Amino acid sequence: MIATIITLIARRLVAAIPILLIVSALLFCVLRALPVDPAAMSLPPNATIAEIDAKRHEMGLDRPLPEQYAIWLRGALHGEFGQSIQFHRQAGSLVATTLPATIQLALAAMVIAAILGLGGGLILFRVRGTILEPAADLFSIVLLSIPEFLWGLILLFVFGVALRALPFTGEVAPGLPVPHITGFLLLDSLLIGRFDVFLSACRHLVLPAVALGLAFSPTIMRVLRSSLFDVYHEDYIQQARLRGLSERRILVGHALKNAALPTLTLTGVQFGILFSGTLLVEVIYSYPGMGNLMVDAVRNADLPLIQTIGLTYCVVVLLINTAVDSLYVVLNPKLRLR
Amino acid sequence: MTFELKRRAFLQLIMGTATTISASAPFAGALAAANDAATIGWPNDVPAWDPNQRFTPDAQPIFKAVFDQPLDQDPHLKLIPHLIKAWTLAPDALSMAVELRDDVTFHNGDKMTTEDFRYTFLERNKSGLKLDIANSMRKVDDIVIESPNKATMKFSSPAPTMPQWLAFLGSYIVPKNYIESKSLDNFLKSPIGTGPYKLAEYELNSRIVLERNDNYWGPKAKIARVTIQIIKDPSARVAAIQSGQVDCTLNVPVREVQRFQQDSEYIGEINPITRVILINVRNDLAFADKNVRLAAHHAINKPALSKAFYGGVAVPLSVLATPGTPGYLSDFTFKYDPALAKQLLAKSGFSPDKPVKIGFATTNGQFPSDYDIARAIAQMWKQVGIDADVQVIEYAKYFELNRGNKLPEATLYSWDNATGDPEIFSGYQLNPKMPFSPWKDEDIGNRVLALFNVADYDKRIAGYRDLERYAVENGATMPLLQSVVTVVRKKKLAYTKYGNGWLLPQTLQWS
Repeated sequence: MIATIITLIARRLVAAIPILLIVSALLFCVLRALPVDPAAMSLPPNATIAEIDAKRHEMGLDRPLPEQYAIWLRGALHGEFGQSIQFHRQAGSLVATTLPATIQLALAAMVIAAILGLGGGLILFRVRGTILEPAADLFSIVLLSIPEFLWGLILLFVFGVALRALPFTGEVAPGLPVPHITGFLLLDSLLIGRFDVFLSACRHLVLPAVALGLAFSPTIMRVLRSSLFDVYHEDYIQQARLRGLSERRILVGHALKNAALPTLTLTGVQFGILFSGTLLVEVIYSYPGMGNLMVDAVRNADLPLIQTIGLTYCVVVLLINTAVDSLYVVLNPKLRLR
Repeated sequence: MTFELKRRAFLQLIMGTATTISASAPFAGALAAANDAATIGWPNDVPAWDPNQRFTPDAQPIFKAVFDQPLDQDPHLKLIPHLIKAWTLAPDALSMAVELRDDVTFHNGDKMTTEDFRYTFLERNKSGLKLDIANSMRKVDDIVIESPNKATMKFSSPAPTMPQWLAFLGSYIVPKNYIESKSLDNFLKSPIGTGPYKLAEYELNSRIVLERNDNYWGPKAKIARVTIQIIKDPSARVAAIQSGQVDCTLNVPVREVQRFQQDSEYIGEINPITRVILINVRNDLAFADKNVRLAAHHAINKPALSKAFYGGVAVPLSVLATPGTPGYLSDFTFKYDPALAKQLLAKSGFSPDKPVKIGFATTNGQFPSDYDIARAIAQMWKQVGIDADVQVIEYAKYFELNRGNKLPEATLYSWDNATGDPEIFSGYQLNPKMPFSPWKDEDIGNRVLALFNVADYDKRIAGYRDLERYAVENGATMPLLQSVVTVVRKKKLAYTKYGNGWLLPQTLQWS
């Protein structure tokens, strides 16, 4: 099994190189086609035309596009993704600062989505053929039709403003420090032994993570239900019944394991979409992640930063897909090499 | 059995965790309510921690907490000594002698001297760094140091507004030794100033934590710890103040302020400030015709705009100056007269049935109700015979379009002038050598350029007052309204109100 996984990861890493090259080239070309002038925008407003031309030359913007891309690529391979026009800092450093918050949020949201999806899918399947089935179906469709940003606003209003039960701005309460070790606040707070910071960080994570989780769970629910329908037609289910096992035991102990495999694949795909879906939720909750940074970058036409964030999203999705496929191998013995 | 036990334990763990998380609710709230701390919901993060780098009006109150300016303004915007305790501008405005305080230290204990003053306002600009302060200090030829506290600024041409600029955007003294020994990058990560607060923590796009500087040379801040929570969305700021997560916030929609004004726990304010909402115009294309320009101005019902979008608090303006500032003309009104507008357009062959077509650019979200104001104006213009195509542009794009001569005939714009001096109102807005206005006419341009070299204060102010009237009467600019800043705060949290809208952390206090 280990050998299979290592082989799979190695293949994926090799395949990732051309994918990243294509994505970065596409991003580069699309951004350069926009009607903005990075040279002018990186200078004070009173810059003369001559100063802007000089800056354009310094940035290589007067060279042919393939040459510009080659210059960018050479820098990227050395970890330099360009300087943010807005912040006057390396774009890579800005992304590195904000990425852990987004990963933390996405992971928390995915856990919630998985729990809700799993539980909801089981319930949807259990009530099939009963009087509750139409209501359960309608409920899952309603959940599916509400996007994450709308959930964000609803939860903010209900739990943040009306009930004042949970905070909805930032990562941690004012007055509490933010430790910087790994960049993951939940982990860092435990590493320094500050349980109060850990709890505050958890409380600040609840609403945005639930908003995302609620938006992505219905798809998991419905796919799991479909998979269970398929699995229940298999012979071994009948055999389990003949052996006298309870329906709950058959569902959870036998059917679920096999129905989970396609659900797992979907969950992996969903995670990639969820990761990019953090953007609006981060803005609503003033959560200091990469999505919030991307909104700033787009508003200020900060091309180097947009490019770096776009590429980071691509890398994260590739890594997620690789992780999901590896997990698939662990769960499905048929995929293991002999 | 084993499965049952595992499931029970799992459920118990979930319930226990949920209870603990919600039970920690009062803890965080108590800290924010303590009299030695306050939290402000702020609309934007600082662009960077180099205060000389970018002229960002919204960031100035934060910079003023950590850094100090050579001169300052009182709440009525009168220029007052600060790090400079005395200054003398030469009669020809070609030099200015300054005397700095000798009891000022940076947050790391280093004494502030004229070396730092020279470094900030001369050496940094000459080193090739692209700083916005290079614009305001472009006339500084040299700063001659006479002692650790005395120096003389020498200018290449008359700089009559240098005192005003030493209290304006970007003019903060930074530590020469600290930056040169530790590098600029390290300064940006751990900035130090001479201000009433030290920067204790900074999380990009999240929060700025300030701690009182107990060695401050001036009046100590009343509140020991101020957290500036970056909340970009106006609705989220409203929600934050309503739920008690912040103690004060600003730039929230006017209708929300009016709602808070009915709540006894809060104070909602709509304060006029030294910021002008105007329409910048070109002197060519469809606006080459003076009749069209003047007609467009006469057709705008400014009191109606103020009532619709600012609760009637924004003062309609006829000149590029706000009430109470030296350049303001209280006896001049450019009247709202749609009938006159139609007559002027008719002279040029236009009418509501045969309208003149123009482009009208506006931002959306750059300042309160900007897009809505543009649409309202477009409707007013339609009534008289001007067909405006409203185009949304990003603020960041404005200068680029202007440089490339690609702005349309009219652009809705907002211009901030914390000093109130007319040079920074109409002088900058109508200066053809500056990037702010698309108006490139030589007549008005030459008048403006001449005023930049007038050393005598009274003569200079009189000149600007004449210029403002002339510019409006010739359709070179269309001032609309004095802008407002909205503030919502808890009733027990007071602050000093400034005429330019500054909400300074060092003036906050709990009653």
